[in-house]
Amino acid sequence: MTRRSFHNQLDEVRNGLVRLAAYVTESLPRATEALLSGDATLCAELIAADDVVDELAASIEDHCYHLLALQQPMAGDMRAIVTAIRLASEIERSGDLVVNVAKAANRIRMLPIDHVTRGLVDRMSEEALGLFLFAVDAYVDHDFAHAAALDEMDDCLDAVHREFIGQVLQSCRNGHLEVQAAVQLALVGRYYERIGDHAVNMGERLCYMVNGWRPGAPAPALMRGLDGPETAPRGPAVTDGARHR
Amino acid sequence: MVELDRDVLTLVLAGTAAALLLVAAVAWRARRALVRRIVTVALRLEEHAPGVEPRGLEPNLARLERAVDRAVLRDGEATLAEQRLARALEAIPQGMVLSDEGGRVLFRNGPARVFSAARHGEVLVTAAVGEMLDEALGGRAGQRTLDLFGPPRRTLVVSAVPLDDERRTVGALAVIDDVSDRRRLEAMRRDFVANISHELKTPVGALSLLAETLLAEDDPAVAERLAGRMLAEAFRVGRTIDDLLELSRIEAEEAPLREPVAAHLVVAEAVERVRPSADLHEIRLVIDEPAAALSIRGDRRQLVSALYNLLENAVKYSDGGSTVDVRSAVVGTRIEITVQDHGIGIPSRDLERIFERFYRVDRARSRETGGTGLGLAIVRHVAGNHRGEVRVSSREGEGSTFALVLPAGPPLVSSTDAEVG
Repeated sequence: MTRRSFHNQLDEVRNGLVRLAAYVTESLPRATEALLSGDATLCAELIAADDVVDELAASIEDHCYHLLALQQPMAGDMRAIVTAIRLASEIERSGDLVVNVAKAANRIRMLPIDHVTRGLVDRMSEEALGLFLFAVDAYVDHDFAHAAALDEMDDCLDAVHREFIGQVLQSCRNGHLEVQAAVQLALVGRYYERIGDHAVNMGERLCYMVNGWRPGAPAPALMRGLDGPETAPRGPAVTDGARHR
Repeated sequence: MVELDRDVLTLVLAGTAAALLLVAAVAWRARRALVRRIVTVALRLEEHAPGVEPRGLEPNLARLERAVDRAVLRDGEATLAEQRLARALEAIPQGMVLSDEGGRVLFRNGPARVFSAARHGEVLVTAAVGEMLDEALGGRAGQRTLDLFGPPRRTLVVSAVPLDDERRTVGALAVIDDVSDRRRLEAMRRDFVANISHELKTPVGALSLLAETLLAEDDPAVAERLAGRMLAEAFRVGRTIDDLLELSRIEAEEAPLREPVAAHLVVAEAVERVRPSADLHEIRLVIDEPAAALSIRGDRRQLVSALYNLLENAVKYSDGGSTVDVRSAVVGTRIEITVQDHGIGIPSRDLERIFERFYRVDRARSRETGGTGLGLAIVRHVAGNHRGEVRVSSREGEGSTFALVLPAGPPLVSSTDAEVG
């Protein structure tokens, strides 16, 4: 295989990951809508669509293993492929979390949810989606400075999540929310929060791919460049914020 | 000796002559073959054979030159025609993707290129295009509708057809059409027709039913109750008709009044109109009056009506004990009057539709509180008439904030400069 067609293969892997992420960023708001509207058909569609996601993730991973075995790439290229394998896993798990939201939605679709709780569900969904879209953008642009911002965005999501749990408990106490709905909604909150965590992980893997830096590595190792001279950072200038990760 | 010389001479001469004849014959044959080759090539290049076939090398060489020139010209014209077609495809707003019979993409116009460079929901469109081109090459034309949440929310229809050249398939074409606006308009029209017939027929139907019951009723207490309900229904449909008429008046406005109107008077009058309702619902109004010098060029009646509708909604959709804040600010050359409530809020999926006539988020609550479903449509039209706009932001469970944004009028020196309510 020539060098050029190897890079075509890398592009194919990247495009596959972008498509995989797109399935998740499209199904997440749908799951929220299913939860708030009680639409059983939408729930069923979302649950069924997960097969496509799983298949695509598996095929991307296979492609990567092939490239590793047959091409024996070095440094940056190898990191790109290893990162792709891990990203496929993060995105596929995020897809599973979206399906969990849809399943919870199905369970409580006959039960009403009070307005304040609904508003908080909307907020969590928006924040989680925003984090995921941001992570995909950072990956496509190889922009690790952007990826560093994911941590703070996730803190925002965590704060909304805490507010949400508090509200669910209160609504339950006030009698505005049935216990069964409260339990499922608490789980749903956790699912959104986990999706945010996956987005943060994606950002960390991106940093590794671009810089060879592992999160939390000691400063001397970062300065040296773990993988040798070829791993000089190619992205925009690093800020202190990124280094403290 | 001389005889020998003469024989040798004759032999040499004969030999030379024979050689010369041989060479001439070979040369002549070679030239004929060359001319034949030139004629063959010329015939291939020419679109039609010449009337009189030139003979000889020179004429046919000239013929070949002319044929080559014409072929180069034709090639140039074909390239120009292809460029024209490519420009035409670029000018089409739909996305166009052209593939050859092997499925390789030959051409993408501007809108299609945007999709192929996408990174979020739109990549699913590119994937669908790829699949559908393959299907089309297999002879199956198709169409698919894709709903993307984005953001932004869009609906796209992707269709693919095979391109045939009488005998065989030479490629396939996929078209990506953004039908979001069309679908929105269709939904609006459909809902409006359904709603308006419902809004008018329901109370009228109730009236006739109540009247029928009343006719057969002897008990005066029951009769009184029935009559009361008839009044309520009549009042409700009366309000719907009033709002419809007002909306028609506002829409049909031809020569709008453009007098400067004191902003604080508009606010004061609207607040006074809504105060009884606010007191009834135990809503506290917190008013930040605009400065006395601020004016808006326009129709006082319309402006008060618009602000009153916003205030009435704020009161209606808040729970007892909460506040409604009214603020004004000058932003650049425009005045912004903001009405903020801390009520049930508006779900995000309804936000873009609430200004449609008769659109309701929660039908039950709106009916209970006596809404006509036309208030926000009136507000939007008044804002439009005054070359302004109305903006909304809201979160379910937190409340809504409506901002009426209008171009500011000239500053007022004293209250007698403006139309007084």
